[in-house]
Amino acid sequence: MTHIEFPILGAKWAIGSIALFHTAVASLAIGFAFFVTLAQILAYIHKDRRYDYLAKRVQLVHVCIYNIGTINAIGLVFALSGLYPQFWSQIFVQFYWPLIIEEFLFFLLATTLTFHYFFWEHLWGHKKLHIFLGALLTPFFFLQFYIINGLGGFMLTPGAGEAELSLSTGVLGWDRLGFYNPSFLMLTLHRTLANFAYGGFAVAGICGTFLYFVARPKLKDYYEEGGRLAFYVGFAAFLSLPIIGYFYAHVLKSEAPDAYVSLMWGRGDIVSGGVDWWWLKHICVAGMLGMSLIYFRKTSDDKRPFSIPTVMVYSVGLFYLMFYVAMGMVMTWAFFWYMLASCVVGGALGWHLLNYHKGSARAVFLLIGILSFTTVMLGGYSREAARPRFVDRISHYDNVFVPEERQPYLMVDVDVAGIPKAPAPHQPTGPIALIRLHCIKCHTLDRVKSYRLDNWDLIVRQMIAYGLELTHDDREQITAYLKAGEPY
Amino acid sequence: MDLPVIVPPVAPRWVWMEEVTYSHIPIATLITAFLFLAPIYEYIGYRLKDGRYDRLAKSLVYFSMILYSPGAALGTGIPMFIIGLWTEFWSRWSMLFFWPLMFQFVFFLTDVGFLFFGYYLPWDRMQDRKRLHIFFGAMTALFGLLIQAVWDSLGAYMTTPSTPFPPISEPVAWSAQAFFNPSYPFLFFHRFFGNISYTMLLTGGVFALKCRRQKDPEEKAYFVFARDFTFTIGFLSFFIMPFIGWGFARMLQIKAPVVFYSIMGGHASPYFVTKMGLMVSMLLLAAVYMFKRYKSKIVLGSMTFGIISLYLVFHWHPPLHWIPGGPIVWRTFYTVAFLGVLAFLWNGARFKSLEWKGWQWVLFTAGLAAFFTFALGGFVRERARQPYNVYDQFVKVEVLPEEADRWLTYEKCLGCHHKSPEEFERYAKKDWEVRVGIERKRPGVDITNEEAARIVSFLKGNYR
Repeated sequence: MTHIEFPILGAKWAIGSIALFHTAVASLAIGFAFFVTLAQILAYIHKDRRYDYLAKRVQLVHVCIYNIGTINAIGLVFALSGLYPQFWSQIFVQFYWPLIIEEFLFFLLATTLTFHYFFWEHLWGHKKLHIFLGALLTPFFFLQFYIINGLGGFMLTPGAGEAELSLSTGVLGWDRLGFYNPSFLMLTLHRTLANFAYGGFAVAGICGTFLYFVARPKLKDYYEEGGRLAFYVGFAAFLSLPIIGYFYAHVLKSEAPDAYVSLMWGRGDIVSGGVDWWWLKHICVAGMLGMSLIYFRKTSDDKRPFSIPTVMVYSVGLFYLMFYVAMGMVMTWAFFWYMLASCVVGGALGWHLLNYHKGSARAVFLLIGILSFTTVMLGGYSREAARPRFVDRISHYDNVFVPEERQPYLMVDVDVAGIPKAPAPHQPTGPIALIRLHCIKCHTLDRVKSYRLDNWDLIVRQMIAYGLELTHDDREQITAYLKAGEPY
Repeated sequence: MDLPVIVPPVAPRWVWMEEVTYSHIPIATLITAFLFLAPIYEYIGYRLKDGRYDRLAKSLVYFSMILYSPGAALGTGIPMFIIGLWTEFWSRWSMLFFWPLMFQFVFFLTDVGFLFFGYYLPWDRMQDRKRLHIFFGAMTALFGLLIQAVWDSLGAYMTTPSTPFPPISEPVAWSAQAFFNPSYPFLFFHRFFGNISYTMLLTGGVFALKCRRQKDPEEKAYFVFARDFTFTIGFLSFFIMPFIGWGFARMLQIKAPVVFYSIMGGHASPYFVTKMGLMVSMLLLAAVYMFKRYKSKIVLGSMTFGIISLYLVFHWHPPLHWIPGGPIVWRTFYTVAFLGVLAFLWNGARFKSLEWKGWQWVLFTAGLAAFFTFALGGFVRERARQPYNVYDQFVKVEVLPEEADRWLTYEKCLGCHHKSPEEFERYAKKDWEVRVGIERKRPGVDITNEEAARIVSFLKGNYR
């Protein structure tokens, strides 16, 4: 099949740009929703209007960027339809229902967000209800996020044989095995905490920006406090990322080794024009770490809310040092030295900026916001670019699927003969096909493979007793094959 | 590409599809119309130094802001639904219009940029830079209209495809012939003026209810102004609609005759007649209020001129067989009706005083009638194309044999006779086999045996 050419950028970069921009905005929205609720609850508990005001300002920015993100999603759908029609249509065959549920959640979110912001004053007398409405945004976002992560995880770790079976077993619109793929959980956890961190740092960045423009001492104090709270939230979430990242990398190592190699040693597509994007991401992370540690060290004696004890600051520094030592051992020591240098530079810059602005963290807030945005973008890009051979990896995406239920008279004006067909993949027959067809109705093939005893007569009879319908001939074939211990 | 058909639960796929689409369209059109009118109202206020217009403009934009997110989210749902439920259609359609769709995406982004960051958020801060602010509003309106312009072209293509629907193996990406298809300008202008008319009538109706509940005299005075201003704009802009509609119908008659027959007496005609009924109700209710409200001879003269123009459209239209007695009776009937209405309006100023609280409900009802007129208009257009997604090019997956036979009958029989499907009803003998047999022998008629059997079967089943 021929494709539409996208000028200048090319199809891959066009999709990459739109998708990454969308991801950055969507992730920010999740972080904002969480932060707004937190700030509103603090305002309600402490009877401090400043936090409520901050929450409202953040929610206004949220409404603005939410619309941009929504439109970006529409652009992504259009671009994928034209540039990767086969891929996009097949994704819908496998994940139509999750996508429709995601769409429904999208509408609920948009409506709730709109009501929450535009009815802020109207619901002043019903503050608990208003906070509840705002709090609803976070679970809505997470449900939506959960679905997209299922699809995103599938593209990196499709789950090998199981996902390949989904079309041939007649799954239309809901591929359970594909959705709950090996990296799904780690991707979800990693992005969840990353979004909280990103949202917090972004709010700090907004406060930093306002601090440059406001002159009134009261407002300055207000934005300084708001930025401090946001920084605190972002940093707390930021601390968990290396731990989740370690397990995520471990899943990739076993399920998508080429992606793992691309990330760790930069031999894949993620090195572009001599720049290793994943290293750049970690340089940003290390810079953020250094700056954060210095900020919390300098503010630890303030006795104001949201300060961290000095001992905690050093502990975090030590923890990260251990993490980067481990990374240096797995990758190269150059990686370790680069990160250490970035952390020191970030810390020194933070120290200088805090002194230069006489204790005001305006520049630190702004820089941390920019760095966190860059980190999210580079992280997403590295993940996508680490799987350059996506189509090869999921073999059935090369096939043309013709379901039996499609009536011939519906084939109107379709130039089927003109469509170049991919060579038919090797389709298992006989007992292998029977095992794959029947066993996965209840559990994964891995579970069957991991069964160590050889009492297959008994096991197959048990399965029939549980409700599996098999003809006598099929049962004989399956049992004999399993007993023989042949691969399937 | 040949992909499986996903069957949704509870309702058939077309119900799901139309549910999503019809939830999105009224919101999208309302936003487009509001954003188009807001800078105009703001400009009027700026020139007249009348703050009421500024307040009105801001309230329209505020309401658009509330609707923007849910509307956009619903809009995203439309392609998502189509991709899954009509995979093949969407793939081919998006291949044909890839670049217009991408441009639409850019227009959308630019629109939201101007709306949020140039127009709504800095409204108060830009009071001293009113011209620049109005310019930002105008840019918002422009990009909103460009979005509509793209969608109207793609929608019009489905009814009057001027170039064949390409196979999936042929990614066209951009076809000027397909984009500028024959019914495109008519659809665009019909929807443009339709949007302004329906949104303003509905807004006037809502403001009328707000007047009713308002206690503060100053606030009440503002809402009275807003009610009458918006309602008048909506009412006056309606009168262009029959003319554009006439041109639209004529274009359909030439380029998509089966669609024309479907609307004019065919299976879509009950919806069309209902739409016309709603339109007449709106006209009567609104006209009575307008004549009561305005003392200005210029305004009343404009309305009279509009009603007379409507009469002319009736006059140009071939006589309808709605009343026994032939064309003269029909023409006499509607002439008397129009004269009667005009006489009533000019003399009916004493009907009820403006203090009568029922007027608020009259206006609201007229606004609702305008809204449903608009909604039914889109529905009629979609229904009339059945069983095709793209007229005469791409059949819907769920087409029923009866729908296919109906299309064939309209195409083969009415294509030669150029009459309404109601003519079948009037045929007295109902010996359809004999009749079709005779017609097939006429020179130039190309009906196979299988087609003749399907036509007879349809006629027997539906015109007994």
